[in-house]
Amino acid sequence: MSTRGEQADSEAARPAAARNPLRAGLRLDRMPEPCTMVIVGATGDLTERKLAPALYNLMLGGALPPEFTVVGFARRDLTAAQFRTHLRKGIDEHSRNRPVKAAIWDSFSEGIEYQRGEFHDATAWAALAKRLERIDRDRGTSGNRLFYLAVPPNLHDEIVRQIGAAGLAGARGGGDPRYRGWSRVIVEKPFGSDLASARKLNRQLREVLDEDQIFRIDHYLGKETVQNLSVFRFGNGLFEPIWNRRYIDSVQITVAETVGVEGRGESYDETGALRDIVQNHVLQLMAVFAMEPPVEFKAADLRDEKVKVLRAVKPMSPAEVEASTVRGQYVSGWVEGKPVPAYREEPEVPTNSDRETYVALKFAIESWRWAGVPFYVRTGKALPTRVTEIAVQFKQAPLALFSRAGAPPLEPNILAIRVQPDEGILLRFGAKVPGPGLQIRGVNMDFRYGSSFAVDSPDAYETLLLDCMIGDASLFTRDDEVERAWEILDPIVDAWAAGEGGRLHLYPAGSWGPAAADELIEREGRSWRRP
Amino acid sequence: MAKAVGRPAPARRALALHRRLMRFGQAESTVAEPWVERDTTVQAVAAHLARLWTTPLEGTDSKVTEKGMSHARASVLNLIVMVPDEASASRVVETMIGLGVRHPSRAIILVADPRAGGPTLSASITAHCHAGPEGAEPICFEVVVLTVHGEAAEHLSGIVAPLLIHDLPTHIWWPGDPPFADPIFDQLVEMGDRVVVDSDEFGDLLRGLRRLTTLRRRSGVGDLAWRRLAWWQELTAEFFDAPRFRRYLPNLNRLVIRYAVPSTQKPRRRKPVGSKPVASNVTSPLAGPMLYAGWLASRIDWKRYATTEPLEDGRLRLKLEGRHEMVDLRIEPFETDALTPGELVSVRMRAFGETGAAEFIIERSADEAVVASNADGMTALLRRMPMEQPNESELLAADLGMDQHDPVYEAAVRAAAVFLASARQVDLAG
Repeated sequence: MSTRGEQADSEAARPAAARNPLRAGLRLDRMPEPCTMVIVGATGDLTERKLAPALYNLMLGGALPPEFTVVGFARRDLTAAQFRTHLRKGIDEHSRNRPVKAAIWDSFSEGIEYQRGEFHDATAWAALAKRLERIDRDRGTSGNRLFYLAVPPNLHDEIVRQIGAAGLAGARGGGDPRYRGWSRVIVEKPFGSDLASARKLNRQLREVLDEDQIFRIDHYLGKETVQNLSVFRFGNGLFEPIWNRRYIDSVQITVAETVGVEGRGESYDETGALRDIVQNHVLQLMAVFAMEPPVEFKAADLRDEKVKVLRAVKPMSPAEVEASTVRGQYVSGWVEGKPVPAYREEPEVPTNSDRETYVALKFAIESWRWAGVPFYVRTGKALPTRVTEIAVQFKQAPLALFSRAGAPPLEPNILAIRVQPDEGILLRFGAKVPGPGLQIRGVNMDFRYGSSFAVDSPDAYETLLLDCMIGDASLFTRDDEVERAWEILDPIVDAWAAGEGGRLHLYPAGSWGPAAADELIEREGRSWRRP
Repeated sequence: MAKAVGRPAPARRALALHRRLMRFGQAESTVAEPWVERDTTVQAVAAHLARLWTTPLEGTDSKVTEKGMSHARASVLNLIVMVPDEASASRVVETMIGLGVRHPSRAIILVADPRAGGPTLSASITAHCHAGPEGAEPICFEVVVLTVHGEAAEHLSGIVAPLLIHDLPTHIWWPGDPPFADPIFDQLVEMGDRVVVDSDEFGDLLRGLRRLTTLRRRSGVGDLAWRRLAWWQELTAEFFDAPRFRRYLPNLNRLVIRYAVPSTQKPRRRKPVGSKPVASNVTSPLAGPMLYAGWLASRIDWKRYATTEPLEDGRLRLKLEGRHEMVDLRIEPFETDALTPGELVSVRMRAFGETGAAEFIIERSADEAVVASNADGMTALLRRMPMEQPNESELLAADLGMDQHDPVYEAAVRAAAVFLASARQVDLAG
């Protein structure tokens, strides 16, 4: 094994606090080593909206070492000053802490540089390598590099090859053997568009990088609630004993957006709801929800458990696709009091497009814990509210002691884990309405982050960038997870293409999806929640 | 109600004090008329507290949605504040106002005077809601000010216990110089999960530190003087984050800490500096430097070895035994009026490595700090940083977020007590 690999392994295994005895007990017990972050495709929207604010807020919280340096790398002909202005604009408009503190910005901006270059041009990469060496010398970044690929996925292959060719990938990539620092690469979704393309992409990445250098970002995993899901399950004695088929009737995962495709009509029309949302966000949420307790709360163990859940999701046969999936597309309607045009009337969308903007499906996890518990999933655009939640419906009490003739059955107990907005956890149970009769009504016990902890949660990108710099891959997706997710979804896409269950149901914008989705769940005696 | 004139002086003073504490309510975003009652009972106070959130409040959006009441109660924490005198009262008020949304769910501010006459118990209750972080629902809490006179002031726990929100952690903030030997101290501390003090304000620092080492609370002890050091600790730790500097850590052989003292002996009153809204009395300016030395020593296993120069005029020098080296520890006062007494002025560390001596320096002025290191024969890394000076509200708010005891602090206090005893040449076993 290479020196690089060993270093990464030992790094992942040891918490940073153990390495610097003075860090124990400090507010920031994990401080990344000095490093340079190279944003490839730095002039894009992502840098402005997410990366720059996240870095600024990390800086503001003192979570980054003073040596930390950012190098923007892109085609556009910008000066460093112009690039700084670009980042500053992003922070001014999108940071959760505003106004910007001049002193923090000043020290941050001292460490911002820009390198112009075409991604396929080896001389540009050589210039970048030279610049990084100089930064290592001048700013003491010790050869540690983090490459953030803020570019479309079709460029990943080329860029990673160039990183390797320029000797920036660490020893494994044929770089300078005396090279001592670490080199990590963050890639954004989509991780391929099917199993074959995902495998190809993974293979291309690994020609240059070790798996532990690759950080596939799914920002859902950086959200506080998703991390709290593990705390909720494994940090409390109360819930884990009932977290199984004996007590849980069914699980609903909802990822609802109010927006339409908003300017990304062309790329969305190639993707659709299934690949855009289910492949990554939904399956990741489901895996964290359903996984077995990991041996230790560490990247390798966590990801082992998550992939076991995905392996237990049996790919559907064409007949099952027909029975357990519903595709939908929105037509014009009203969302949040505003008219929304039909999907096919959106710019760049073909007028005869049959791409799904909504999908409802039922997964089965065939494990000892979950056999027989349906996982209902729905996600869509132009729905009435923006919400992401996992709702657990518990089994009914064995005898209906309180039901009266003609009265509706009691509501089942629900535990809803809300990922966004209003992150929190809600438990719904029946209580007696005060008075002489015996009337029962559902009541909510509601925990919300915002009202219990009066602190602002960090943005997911802050959490994830910091984790990556520290070398903690717990909240990133591993190659086998990505490939297994496609193994689950490919049969669905194939069956749809073959006309099995692929019928497109239209739904008006601002509704909760097509009627066929209601039928999917109602024929099993359940109904969708209205979150 | 009788007029204040003609009342015995202590009662008048108490009323003035109570009014002053009520300012807190007025400055806050109260959502209901304050409830004020002289000569009341614990039951009456408890009954009012129980009613407080069940009726829709004026000025809030009181619609009851499917998801529950719109004003979420942040049931996180009880805080009991012991106000020893009038001077502390206004300071407590300022600090509490500064807490903002980081406020405890219920704050009980206690003014107790066993020697005063007049009504045994007077109370006022105010209810507050703060707008939460963007888009979130308002965060609501209540503040109870209790004035207890006469013999009842020696039995406070019976008054306070029924007024706490049950099943919530309770923190006790005791500003000033807590009466460690008084039974009332033990009685109140017994009720809390965590006690928060400020060792900068202890009358007898050594006695205070020793008492802290024996306090056993479920959620530990908080010390605002320790929180003031956080910034210094972060900067110090930062030197040794880079692996190439970390190896100097066991080889440190000198630590010089300078701390601020006023240039004239009097007055020793804190000057409001920067955003600091409150004046408070620093009576033990040595607390900060001793805790810092105790922290570093306990982190890297330095033991007391000998006293080189005993404590005199705020200056002391000890010889410590490190893992590889003997360490020269010096704590020196530095006269300045630009800083609050007791604040650190500079920290200098020296080590011998394979390639010669290395130095690590943090030096501050009123609003800026210079951080420099010179090691590995490398050019000195020099950095200027804006000085962050958290005010008491921020320190207290940070402490309210703690819910477990901090072994790092406890080790630092033990080491600081040993060093101070050694420098004062008193019995170490004390």
